[in-house]
Parts: sequence; structure tokens; C-alpha cells
Amino acid sequence: MVFFTGPNGHLCGSENANGLNKDKILEDMKKLASEDKKIVTQAVKDLAKSGDIRLESFFEMYRQGSIYNWPSKSGEVRIVLNEETLMDDDFNEFAPLLHPLSKEPFLINGEQAKPGLFELEDISPGRKLRSLVNSSKFLLRLFSPDLETRLSGVKKCGDPPFLPDALSNLEEISNNKNEDAKVRHTAKESMELMILGGVVEGKKSIKDRVLALEKLGNLKSLRALARIDPLESAITALSTFKDYSKTEIKNFKKSISSVRTKIEGHKEKVKWSGNLFRGFSYGSVLILIALGLAITFGLMGVINMAHGELMMIGAYTTYEVQLMFGHSPDNPVNHYYLFALPLAFCTAAVVGLIIEALVVRHLYNRPLESLLATWGVGLFLIQVIRIIYGDNIGVNSPTWARGGYEIYQDIVLPYARLYLLGLSISCVCFVYFIIRKTRFGMLIRATMQNRDMANSLGVRTRKIDRLTFALGSGIAGVAGYGWTIIGGVTPDMGQTNFIVDSFLVVVTGGVGELIGVVYSGLGIGILTKLIEPLEIGTFTIGPVWGKVILLALIVAFIQYRPSGLFAPKGRLADKK
Amino acid sequence: MIEEEKIIKSKRIFSFLCILGLVVVPAMYYLGVLSIGDINMLGRFITFAIVALGLDLLWGYVGILSLCQFTFFCLGAYAMGIHLAHHGGPEGIIDSNGWKIPACLFVVYPYEVGESSGDALVPGFWKPFWNLPITIFLGLLIPGLVSLILGYFVFKSKVRGVYFAILTQAIAVAAWLVFCRNDVKLCGTNGLTRFDVIAPHGSIFTLNPVDATQGWIESNTGAGNIDLNKDGAIDQLDYSIADVGYSLSAPEVQVSLYIISVLCLLGAYLLCRWIVISRLGKVLVAIRDDEPTLSFFGYKPYTFKIFAFCVAAMLAALAGLLYVPQMKIVTPSNMEAVRSVLVVVWVAVGGRGSLGGAILGALSVNLIYNYLTSEHNYGFFTWSPDYWPIFLGIMFVVVVLFLPNGLIELVDRFIKKKSDIKNMSEPSN
Repeated sequence: MVFFTGPNGHLCGSENANGLNKDKILEDMKKLASEDKKIVTQAVKDLAKSGDIRLESFFEMYRQGSIYNWPSKSGEVRIVLNEETLMDDDFNEFAPLLHPLSKEPFLINGEQAKPGLFELEDISPGRKLRSLVNSSKFLLRLFSPDLETRLSGVKKCGDPPFLPDALSNLEEISNNKNEDAKVRHTAKESMELMILGGVVEGKKSIKDRVLALEKLGNLKSLRALARIDPLESAITALSTFKDYSKTEIKNFKKSISSVRTKIEGHKEKVKWSGNLFRGFSYGSVLILIALGLAITFGLMGVINMAHGELMMIGAYTTYEVQLMFGHSPDNPVNHYYLFALPLAFCTAAVVGLIIEALVVRHLYNRPLESLLATWGVGLFLIQVIRIIYGDNIGVNSPTWARGGYEIYQDIVLPYARLYLLGLSISCVCFVYFIIRKTRFGMLIRATMQNRDMANSLGVRTRKIDRLTFALGSGIAGVAGYGWTIIGGVTPDMGQTNFIVDSFLVVVTGGVGELIGVVYSGLGIGILTKLIEPLEIGTFTIGPVWGKVILLALIVAFIQYRPSGLFAPKGRLADKK
Repeated sequence: MIEEEKIIKSKRIFSFLCILGLVVVPAMYYLGVLSIGDINMLGRFITFAIVALGLDLLWGYVGILSLCQFTFFCLGAYAMGIHLAHHGGPEGIIDSNGWKIPACLFVVYPYEVGESSGDALVPGFWKPFWNLPITIFLGLLIPGLVSLILGYFVFKSKVRGVYFAILTQAIAVAAWLVFCRNDVKLCGTNGLTRFDVIAPHGSIFTLNPVDATQGWIESNTGAGNIDLNKDGAIDQLDYSIADVGYSLSAPEVQVSLYIISVLCLLGAYLLCRWIVISRLGKVLVAIRDDEPTLSFFGYKPYTFKIFAFCVAAMLAALAGLLYVPQMKIVTPSNMEAVRSVLVVVWVAVGGRGSLGGAILGALSVNLIYNYLTSEHNYGFFTWSPDYWPIFLGIMFVVVVLFLPNGLIELVDRFIKKKSDIKNMSEPSN
């Protein structure tokens, strides 16, 4: 086993996990150089069973004939990869070799081996073997230890061009009690899809295909929908022949149309419940981004145009924490995300305190001026961050945020969205608790309702102002922190994504009432996601026109209710 | 008393502007102090000053802060842009109706499913803009109507102050998103470009290229070779070469455009001043200061607000019409929310509530911008264009906190001091 002197030092995580497999793989690879076709075929099959995803490119290169045997002087087999040949000054061709698995330089005595071409032995597969190698490329995925890879492999077998070779493997998977339910379901689906596609030996007749389609209908397979038309045209073409009686063909057509309505019904259900969830999810994001503003603008009356930038600060804090913990997709340190939450809150709150002390406190009674000044602060923050970090940074969300929870067949709720939903709910509860249930919250309400009275009763209103602004800013920071899990982080993210939306949510909800934000955020979110997928003729409304329509609706709504959903009543209404 | 002073002051500003804009600057160009590029730049900045004037009327006198002035600016600019694209040089394709699809539209034409490149058509709403007078008329009318409708709905329902500002900003963002799309056939994010000439004969006296080409061919039959682009067919592409008009890159055309811009600015100034010092202006100021009381007197504040909003929008559109031939491109980036907020900064820096201040602010901020967005080495410190937004941000804050009446206040103080000294020295003479 020593002949592989390739660098073993640089091993990534997945390779470690497959450490035991690796020796087996290399051993099987050696068999590829055998003269005996049976041994080679068996070796290919064994390799496919290893489920190591790196073999995918190996098979491809093997098929193309870039894999060679480079026998050592003692006659030992060494499998190597050579992608291009070089030529020296004397026109001697030689081949720089690479490790077949890791694709790193194949080292002999610490240098990349560059033997002459004549030293390499061609072991490229023959015609028959080539098709096996090609299908092994896909079969490989079926044996992968990683669930996602396995699922995608199982899925791919049932998509054209089909992979009939995998039929027995799929059957095995679908009968394996230990296998994940989703994978088993997909394996069944793929098997029937292959029969439906008419590529399975012995099951190519129309009758078998219709039978498969009926099974797919019971499985509510969305993927079968696109395959129905070819079958239908095949039946129409058939009806001129006399293979089946007229009643049989009639029955075929009948069952096809019933399957079609079944699957399409399922599709509609999936589509609309998906839209509804997306609406809730978007609504929760809106609530999250508008909640901080509901405090600084709604309660305090400061037109805080730097709100989006406070969110940006929260997002960049998350990024800094990620760097501190050294989190990356290859080396996940997921608990960084937990630590980032309070830090994002604190950083944004401190920045908010500074903004309040330097700028906002001079402008409490001049709303339009506070709009301008805070916009200026926003510009300042954006550019400072841009100079420090540049335009693009990569925030890697925690690994658990990938993927989703399949609540019902084909309705997947992404974990990231679920997390945001939870974050949003807890933020609302947190703010509600502070404002309604604590002494601090009582003082806030007293100050905002009647500043002079509160002052004369001994409330230090300046301090309350400062802390309230910091609270609003901190919540904005948390929103920015939450955003990193679903969206990109750029210095001008506040201006491009959030500021208009968050103000619209607050204004629609009614200034001064926190509960208004919840209703209007959810309302706008759900409405947007229900409008967007609507189709008028061939024209789909889409996000841009959706936004325009929504804006028109909000303008119309403000006609009907000038002060928003939850307008302050009585004396409070007189105050601006 | 104060009113009179203001009128005198505005007269002084007016004559100062006249002399500076119409005499000094062109003279400097002909003496070689300013390059044609500088004239072109000043011309563009002057169009910005027109936008600022409109906003000052709206914000300074009526107290309504609109954050979508550059949307109206762009409505005017796109009108002129479409017009110039119609007459933009020999590139382009003749569609099946005999209209030329300009290159800028053709490259991003949104084909429906099943359409091929031969099916592209000049959109119907492009067609009225073939004719220059109609273009100017529509370029002012459309923003006017949009602002009228918008203003009616918004002001009738008593949307005030900050709410109005945020609503207009949302509208600006929505309009920007729409104009960025290819399928509205306004050339998407590329914008309208490849302009060539302004005011060719056909653009003034005919309503469509078919007539114009026909007339041109009839008057030129027998006049030698009129297949100018030598493609074997005598068509609109030949006509677009032949009817030269005035080239937008010629210095004299650019100076004329500058002069026209200055004249429009002066006209706009006179209009705004007339509004401000008339009785109408007093009502406008009353709305700003105490709207509820005014309504008690039987006025309907929303009609006056709509009026001011429309005037501001149309001034912005006029600026857009003048801006495009000088900039030679118009893209949706002009509609971004930031641009409209910048107008507010111009007015705030110059001096809110004083028409001269708006002009001063627009010109000075833009000149500073022009200076600070290039690199300068001061020995101990190198100024990088990256610092401009930081400077701008600080300027916002400083002006709002320390200069609530803007630069014009400094100028006023300066003039006052001088006249005080004069007054004091007079008796001794």
C-alpha cells in the first residue's frame, strides 16, 4: 500500500469519514488494469458501490481515457491521472501525473512525476464497459452515505435519459426498511417513471406504462405530470393498430385523465399552500425589519432613515462573529450563530446610542429634518463599511439552516425560514414584554404620551429617549442578524432592501401601535406572495409588478384609513 | 417690510443670475477659460437647479417634502430620450410598419414566446415622440397628469408631512423597478442611448418616419445617388443620414443647449417668484404654517397642494427634457431613491424657503461633487473619490443641525454687513 505517495496530509472532513473506504477504493482501482474483462467489470461495480462522490469525476475521466496504469519498476500497478501532455525542447512528450482521486500532483520523491508517454499503459474501457462506467457515474450516488446526495441520485435515475441499470438498486432501496422514507418514496417513484418512460426491458407495452402511471398517480408524483403527454400521443399513435381493443384504449385514456386530475389537484394544493407559507415567511421578515422602526419612528417620531444601516451593522457583526469562530461550510462551528444574536443587538444598540447623542436628540420636534440628517448618517455608515469590508463578503449561515422540513409531500419548509419565523415571534414578544410589562416600558410609554407630565413627575426623559432609541436600534441589529441566513450582505443592503418596505409596514400598521406592525407585516407579506404568482393570460405578475400593485393598494388603503390600521384615538390623535 | 426686502433681494438675485449665466460663462468659454466639457457640465447642473427650484416651491413654501422629484425628472427625460432615439443615427432595423427600431431598443427587445427578431415592432407609445413639439408637450403633460392624479388621491385623504415623504419614496422605488424591466420596452437598465442629432427637419414638420422618408425621397428623386448607406434600398436609414439636424456633439449646439437651459432656469425662477409673491403664494405659506386654521377660513388646502405638486413635477420634467440632449444617455439609475433625496439636500444646503437658495444649493453641491469625485493629493493627505459619500453624509447632518436656513443665509449676512457699512459711511459723506 505504500506506492501511493500522493499527499495524504491534506484531508478534508469527508475524506476522514471515508478513511476506511479509501483503501478499498484504491485496491479496486488497481483491478482496472487487469487483462481479465470480468475482473475489470467487477471492479467498476465495486467502485460504484463505494458511494464516494469523488469517484464521479474519476469515472468520467476513466471513460474518456485519461486514466493510465504507470507500472513501477517492480511491476506494481499504479493508477494515475494524466490530463494534458507537455513537450520539452527535444520534442519528447511527457505526462505530468495527478492522483486519480484527489487530483493533486502525483508525487515521487517529493516532486510531481513526469514520465514519458511510452511508460504509461492505456487502460481505457472498451465499448461495452464504457456504458457501464457511464451509468456507474450515477449509480455511485445511490450508495452515497450522504442523504442529500443519495436522494438526488435516486431522483436522477427517474429523469430522462433514464438509467434502467439502476432498477435493481432502486428496488433494493425502496424495500430497505432502514432507509429514509423520502428516499424510499423517491426510489419507488423513479422506478415507475422509468417504466412510464418505456425504457425498462419487458415492460415496454402500453399496458405496463399505463399501469405505472396509475401507481404514480397514487404516489401523487409531480414529476409524472410532464411525462403524461408522450404516453398519450403514443396511445393515439397505437390506436390505428390492433394490439388493443377499442374499449381497452378507452380505458387507458380514462385512467390517464383521472391520474392527471389527481396529480394536478395535488400540484395546486402544493402551490397554494407553498405560497401561503412564503407569505407568512415574508411577513415575518417584514415584521422583523419593521419592528425596530416601529419603536424609533412609531413611538418616538424620529424618521430614522438610518434604520436599514443599523440592520446592516447587525449583519456585519454576525459576519465578524463568524470570522472569530472560524465558521465555514467545510468546518462548521454552528454555535457562532447563537453568540452573534446578543452581539448584533448590542453593537447596533451602541451605534444607535451614538447616533442619538450626536444627531437625533437635536431633532425630536423636527421630523422632516430628522429624515434628512439620519439619511446622511446612513450614507456615512454605508461608505465607512464599504471602505473597511469592500462590496462583497461571504456570510456562511449555519449548516443546519440548509435544507428544510417536509411537512407534507412536496411542501418543504426551509429551516432558515422557520428560524426567522421563530425569531420574529420572539422579538415581538420581547418588545411587547418590555413595553407593556416592565417599569422601563411604562416610563417609555409615559414619556412618549406626555413628555412634560412625565418630566415633572421625575422621569428622566432624556435618558428614556436615549434608551428607547437604543432599543429600537438593537432590534434593527437583530433583524440584520436574522437576514444573513436568507439574504446577501452588502454595505447598501439597508437602502436597497429594507428602508422603504419597513416604513410602508409601519405606516400601514399605524404609527404608535406595535401591534399594527404585526398585522400589516403579515398582511403585506401574504398579499404580496399571493399576488406575485397570479397569471393574467400569458403574463405572470412577478415581484416587480407585484410591488407596484401592492403600492397602489396601500395608497388606496391610506385613502380609506389615513392613519393606518391602528390609528391612535382621542387626544393622542392630535399629536403628530 | 420684510416682504419688500425679499422682493428687492430676488430682483438682485435675478439680475445676478442673468449676467452670470448669459454673459460671463459664455464669455469665459469664448476666451478659452472654460472648455466645452465645462459648459456641458454647467448646462446639466443648471437643469438640476430647475428641479431644485420646483422642490423648493413645494417644500420651502408649502411644507410638503416630496422624495420622488427625480421620477418626474425621468418621465421628462425618457420622453426626450425616446424622441432622440427615433432620430439616432443610421443603426437600427426597419420594422414591418416602416418605423425604425433604434439600436438601443433592438438589443434588449422583449420578444414574446414564439417571436423571432423579425417580429420586433416599435411600440405604439413610442410613436407620438417622433415629433419634437409633441415630445415637449407630452414630456410636460405626462408628469403633470401623474402628479395631478397622485396628488389628488394623496392630498384629498390628508396624507401629511412624513407620510407623504415616505409614500413618494415608495413610488420612486416602484417606478425605478418598473423602468429597469425590459418588458416595458424602455430599454431596461441599459437605458436610451446612441443619440445623434436634435431637431432634424423631419422631427418638427412630420408626425412619423414614413411621411418624412416619403417626402425626402420625393424631393430628392433624380438628385443623384440617394442610397446613402449603400445597402441597395432607398429607405428610412438613408433618410436618417440625410436629414442631419444639429449634431449633439457639436460645440455650438452644446453652447446653445446651455443657453436654453439658463433661459429655462430664469423662466422657472420668474414663475416661482410670481407664484410666491402673489396672493396664491400667501395661501401656500399659510398651508405650511397652519393648515387647520386655513381650512377653518374656508380654503381647501388640498387644491393648493395639488397645484404646487404639479408645478414642481412639471419643472422637474422640464429639467429632464433639457438634461438628456446634454447628457446623451438616460438610464433608470437616475430614478433611484437616492437621487430624489439628493434634490432635498441641494435645497437644504442652499436654503429652504428661498428660491435663490435652491439654485445656489443645486449648483454648489454639484460643483463640489464634481470636484470631490476625482482624486486629489494634498501632500499630507490624499482625497479619494470613495470619501465623497462620507462627506455628503456629514454635510447632510451639518446643514440640518447648524445651517437650518442654508448657505443663502451666509450670503445674506454678508450682503447685509456690506450695506450696513455703506449706510453707516453714507451720513459722513
